[in-house]
Amino acid sequence: MTTSFTDTTTTSWDDALSAIERGYDLGWSDGLPIVPPTTARVAEFIGYAGRPPDDLLGELPERRRVITVEKAAANAVMAGCLPEYFPVVLAATEAMLDPVFNLVGPSSSMGGAAVLCIVNGPVREQIGLNSRNNLFGPGNRANGTIGRSVRLILMNACAAVPGLFDRSVIGHPGKYTYCISEAEGETHWTPLHVERGFNAGDSTVTVFAGESPRQIRAVGRPEAILYAMADVASTLGTSMSTSGSVGDVSVGIRQGQIVVTFAGNSNLWRDWTKEKIREYLHANIQRSVADLKRGLVLRGDIEPGDEAAMVPLIPEPEDILVLFAGGEESNMASVIPSWGPKVGSTAVTKAVRIP
Amino acid sequence: MATQQYTLVNPVTEPIIAPFDGAPRLPSLAGTRLGLIDDSKRNADVLLEELAEVLRNRYEIREVRWLRKPSASRPADPEELQELVSNVDSVVVAIGD
Repeated sequence: MTTSFTDTTTTSWDDALSAIERGYDLGWSDGLPIVPPTTARVAEFIGYAGRPPDDLLGELPERRRVITVEKAAANAVMAGCLPEYFPVVLAATEAMLDPVFNLVGPSSSMGGAAVLCIVNGPVREQIGLNSRNNLFGPGNRANGTIGRSVRLILMNACAAVPGLFDRSVIGHPGKYTYCISEAEGETHWTPLHVERGFNAGDSTVTVFAGESPRQIRAVGRPEAILYAMADVASTLGTSMSTSGSVGDVSVGIRQGQIVVTFAGNSNLWRDWTKEKIREYLHANIQRSVADLKRGLVLRGDIEPGDEAAMVPLIPEPEDILVLFAGGEESNMASVIPSWGPKVGSTAVTKAVRIP
Repeated sequence: MATQQYTLVNPVTEPIIAPFDGAPRLPSLAGTRLGLIDDSKRNADVLLEELAEVLRNRYEIREVRWLRKPSASRPADPEELQELVSNVDSVVVAIGD
């Protein structure tokens, strides 16, 4: 079957090196070499997914953009994906274009977020996604190229060009690629997608507008790991402690979500469920009114009682996304604060449509 | 090796811009009603309050109405926006930061 494309460019090259240079000349790169999105290769991706090229994945009304399967496929080819990764890229694109995610916020903000993709379900094993050692990379093609596809789609199809619509002041390396999966088969915990209403046999992508991961090296006992994790997540300077209405519990949507990962041997956590972890973290991720005033998060002079008055930084326990993921070598953990308050962006999960 | 031609699928989208007619300009602000949209960023309210004061003094603004967005990164609620514009003659939007 011949796929007809709406928007093509004809170019030429004489060897592999000049093909790579043409990719840069065309202005389509994230800074790294791209695979040329030839019509034959893009058609292969679209054929695998079994969706028409003009199928709409979503819109970005603020930038007057509509994003189709064709545009997503061209970027996934450029990122170095295999055709069987493409349904995951499509689900990630649909998720980040869901109005609840509010892509225009995290893709333009000075806050410098990246779109973290968390993959759950059988597709993880079908395409060889990594959920263990070197969780955030490097070294695995599926993680590396699916995450990179999301960035190329953001830059090329969603107009989030650095210095133009993307106004990140600092950003972080996850903006090149940021895709992980949960080690579902190696823990007694309920997988993230099941907690979020899908069946265990479904494959899903959850997108989360996140800062960089902060590794936590406290190990040995669950209580010690969680104590350190709450300490890390309560620091001043993250988006969670700078939101404009921290401390105003009447507007919980103005505080942000958080992703936490736990590595090592799941047996250490045999007495803990994800619910119990969330309850502990929700109660302990907090900061004193005095410190929030020192950091100019809250206004006013420090009053008697401000040192002891604590302000929670996470709206509800459900706003803590808990994952079992990372290397088997140690019970290390990580914290990923959200880019901003929930009203700015909320995590979204979409099903992967396997052909 | 000989140069070969290739057809590539363009990964870049272009903006689709619908035709747009701006509201007719007011001949003067004198005696009119003013709407202010606060984007909810820090100090947007400070800036707009000061502006309202200046305009009140300079143009005898009859009435000032406020709309505060829930988040700077989200568009204003269309219904609230409609209510605002049907009750004022001009609107000022500001980004405070």
